[in-house]
Amino acid sequence: MFGLLSMVLAAQPQTAETFSQLFNLYLAFGTAAAVIVISLLVFFVIRYRARDGHDPSKYPVPGWKVALITAMITLSVLVTAEYQTIASESNITIPNDTNAIHIKVLGFQWGWSFTYPNGKTTLNNLTVPAGAVIILNITSRDVFHSFGIPMLAEKMDAIPGKVNTMWFQAPLQTGVYRDAIRCYELCGAGHALMIANLTVVSQQSWQRWISS
Amino acid sequence: MMEQAINWLKGWLFTTNHKKVGILYIFTSCYFGFVGAVLALLMRTQLSVPDNNFLTGNFYNQAVTMHGVIMIFWFLSPLAIGFANYFVPLQIGAEDLAFPRLNALSYWLYLAGGIFEIISFFVPGGSANGGWTTYQPLGTSQFSPGAGPTLVFIGWILLTVSVTLGSVNFITTIFWMRAPGVTISRIPMFTWFMFFTIVAMLFSFPALIAALVLLVSDRVLGTVFFSLASIQPSILWDNLFWFFGHPEVYIVLLPAFGVIAEVLQVFSGRPLAAKNVILISTAIIVLPLSFGVWMHHMFVTGVPLALQNVFSISTIAISLPFDLITLAFIETLLHGNIRLNAPMLFALGGIVLFIIGGITGVFLSSPVLDRVFRGSYFVVGHFHYVMVGAAIFGLIAGIYYWLPRMTGRMYNEGLAKIHFIVSFIGFNVLYFPMNLLTDMPRRIFTYQSIGDWPLLNGVASIGAYIFALAQIALAYQVLNTWFRGPPSPPNPWGAATLEWPQVQTPVVGQEAPQGGWIGELNTENVGKEKLHDNLSSRPILLTAGIFVALLGVPYYSSSLGIATILIGLLILAYSVIGWAMDDLKERFVVQDSEAGERWPFHLVSKLKLGMWTFLSSEIIFFGTFIGAYLYIRAASPSWIAVGSVHSIPIGALNTILLVTSGLTMALALESIREGNQRNLLAFLGITFLLGSAFMGIKVSEWADLASKGFLISSQNQVISIAASSYYFLVGLHGAHVTAGLIVMIYLMKKTINGQYTKEEHRGIENFALYWAFVDVIWCFLFPLFYLM
Repeated sequence: MFGLLSMVLAAQPQTAETFSQLFNLYLAFGTAAAVIVISLLVFFVIRYRARDGHDPSKYPVPGWKVALITAMITLSVLVTAEYQTIASESNITIPNDTNAIHIKVLGFQWGWSFTYPNGKTTLNNLTVPAGAVIILNITSRDVFHSFGIPMLAEKMDAIPGKVNTMWFQAPLQTGVYRDAIRCYELCGAGHALMIANLTVVSQQSWQRWISS
Repeated sequence: MMEQAINWLKGWLFTTNHKKVGILYIFTSCYFGFVGAVLALLMRTQLSVPDNNFLTGNFYNQAVTMHGVIMIFWFLSPLAIGFANYFVPLQIGAEDLAFPRLNALSYWLYLAGGIFEIISFFVPGGSANGGWTTYQPLGTSQFSPGAGPTLVFIGWILLTVSVTLGSVNFITTIFWMRAPGVTISRIPMFTWFMFFTIVAMLFSFPALIAALVLLVSDRVLGTVFFSLASIQPSILWDNLFWFFGHPEVYIVLLPAFGVIAEVLQVFSGRPLAAKNVILISTAIIVLPLSFGVWMHHMFVTGVPLALQNVFSISTIAISLPFDLITLAFIETLLHGNIRLNAPMLFALGGIVLFIIGGITGVFLSSPVLDRVFRGSYFVVGHFHYVMVGAAIFGLIAGIYYWLPRMTGRMYNEGLAKIHFIVSFIGFNVLYFPMNLLTDMPRRIFTYQSIGDWPLLNGVASIGAYIFALAQIALAYQVLNTWFRGPPSPPNPWGAATLEWPQVQTPVVGQEAPQGGWIGELNTENVGKEKLHDNLSSRPILLTAGIFVALLGVPYYSSSLGIATILIGLLILAYSVIGWAMDDLKERFVVQDSEAGERWPFHLVSKLKLGMWTFLSSEIIFFGTFIGAYLYIRAASPSWIAVGSVHSIPIGALNTILLVTSGLTMALALESIREGNQRNLLAFLGITFLLGSAFMGIKVSEWADLASKGFLISSQNQVISIAASSYYFLVGLHGAHVTAGLIVMIYLMKKTINGQYTKEEHRGIENFALYWAFVDVIWCFLFPLFYLM
């Protein structure tokens, strides 16, 4: 199911971990609600199939009472879900971390370019040190794109004339995560090919790489 | 024989009968549904295996765009409107819709718009390819050149105009045309849900028209609303589009809920549970809140966190009334005598699929989860569960439910049950895998063989073929029933609503209906409806004029294009004058029944209610433009200095002229209320002169501005965007003034004829309302452009 997420299950970065917990909560609530309500519908259909001698008009018409009770139950579930979402918003709040590495992302038809703090630029490959906090400043040169790294549960629109910020914690496991970065907004004929790799290297290799 | 054929053709082309227009809507929408389905199958074929070369990226994008546009705007809503045309008047005991010719005009505009969508595929460069959401600036000429996209957006504007006219018509019908005895509390559920749909349409579509008009203006006239990166046009478009776009989801869904509510009651033998809870929660929660959730489509555009939370809460809150509605539907089954005929199966199936689609929607209310789901196949799965699952299953329930009423014949129940089972299985095989494809971007035309994508996509494509094949059974079923089916009893389901004959013994014998239009078979039993087939050639001709004129618009720089536009305008002028002459000579008269349930509008005339409804949509229309202008002013780094370009004295003079004309118009109305026709003519004349003076000054003002270099095409970005806003909004207002001047000529002619009297002067009353509206708009525009 969450193929890419399970890839990093061994040691999940913070944003992916927060996402998984929240998602599992929603999934549990959602599945329970669907199963209960659909079962009730199926049960009623079987139980009250047309049969001789049954006069449905004998029974009173249900009013607002059952509705009120179900509304209260639903409300409690919805409030819990919303509360947990707000409690998980560290995922979408840029951390105040002085060690964070700031990288500029420019989307264009059709590719991504990354500019590192020292001015070094790469194309369609984002290289980061393992476990580091990365802050991206994302914009677009032409049309509306959307920069997404599903395995880290992060996404941000790349909009011409606007710089949006996004953060993530780099995976702890080094290696090349192929096609980890994609465009999530239709941006023309090459939308499907707007893919980039995420390369995670150790702290020492990062220092060597960035200054090379 | 020949004459018969011509009469038959005339009977359809010139019809204003709500049933015939309804039939036209239903069949036309099914045709567009077929086109949309073919596009979907092309896409699913391309995606069935990784690295496929079946379609090019460019054509795939056209398919994905037009699939969405056609399915939502030319199939789902029009199918519901077709049912509404046929059954809303019957359910409330009205003879027809409030404005029959306007209704025919709505249909023809809808068809003309659809023809634009189809031909856009066949012009060089092909159709629009930026997605049905056409996030700007992808839809501007720079990134989507060619006539195809322009034709798509023009056709789309025609559709939105058609919908707005239809909204005015239905609201007036439901509030003004109910037969004696059909009080508010006795309005059937389908009519109620159509009413909710129409209200949402009335207030959301103007925002879409505004967005599309701005876009077409950019593409054709060269304005720069969506092409200057400095004002972040993507955000402007997103707000305009989704302000319309989220209510649109409910617009698609609610008619199906109306059908489901009818079918559940009839086939369970139980009245709807908690009916008032359903109605009240839809009216006071769903409708208003649907306009307050749009920003959940924009969680990752960079809006502040606090705003994200507000919209997250409003979005999760809107699931509560739907939870109530769904559970009330299920509770209706309690103690019932459930008959599982095809309409009931599709209604129950629609509820099950809505539950799944509704729950996945709750996931999308969370800004944190949205960081994965936005733009992914999870979203595609979610909204297809709602728009195909709930909406189409509900509407198919409607087809089976009402087919005997429309044709007098019965469909094949066994085949219908097979149709349901195969559809339900095919649907889930098609869409459930999409819920699992949370990391796959939507609208990509190809993918590499990674993870579970090939498997899930392959399964979905197989499901698509199964689902599509099943619909062949539906097409066969409808046509076969229509022409050959066995006769049906007049009220085969024992339904209690007024569209079915309410008699104990069937009046129709066992013999098959003879010739003619069999849809009329049952009508004599109802007694409340009268067969009339007032023909009018004006609606179709008027549409033809608009169609031809607009066809030339993308080519206006060539002489052929100009010629096309002129021919179109001639046809348009001919039919508008013809329509006015019909009224002058009273050639097309709709007799309103004296009595009826009209609360709370029993003191208002039908035309006035229609005008108020129309003006309320106009308020949203202008409000959207003014909002867009204010957004541009706020986003723009600098602006032209007050008084440096626009002359305040000239603007003030024009304001005085127009406000004075408003007063003289009020005096004109006062004169005829006292029965003074001479004074009416005099005041109309003065109003006309003042309005003309306003336009004259405007034209000379524009010429002066242009000569000073205040041009859209200016190299200076600030001047370019300021000129775009000014010419566009003030021009739009000028067009409203000009339209008013043209109508005034007609009113003066009618006054000279002595057709307005102390008792009968509704035309003057409504025009005074319109003119006051035009005045008020100017009172906003003057300070916005001249004083700030």
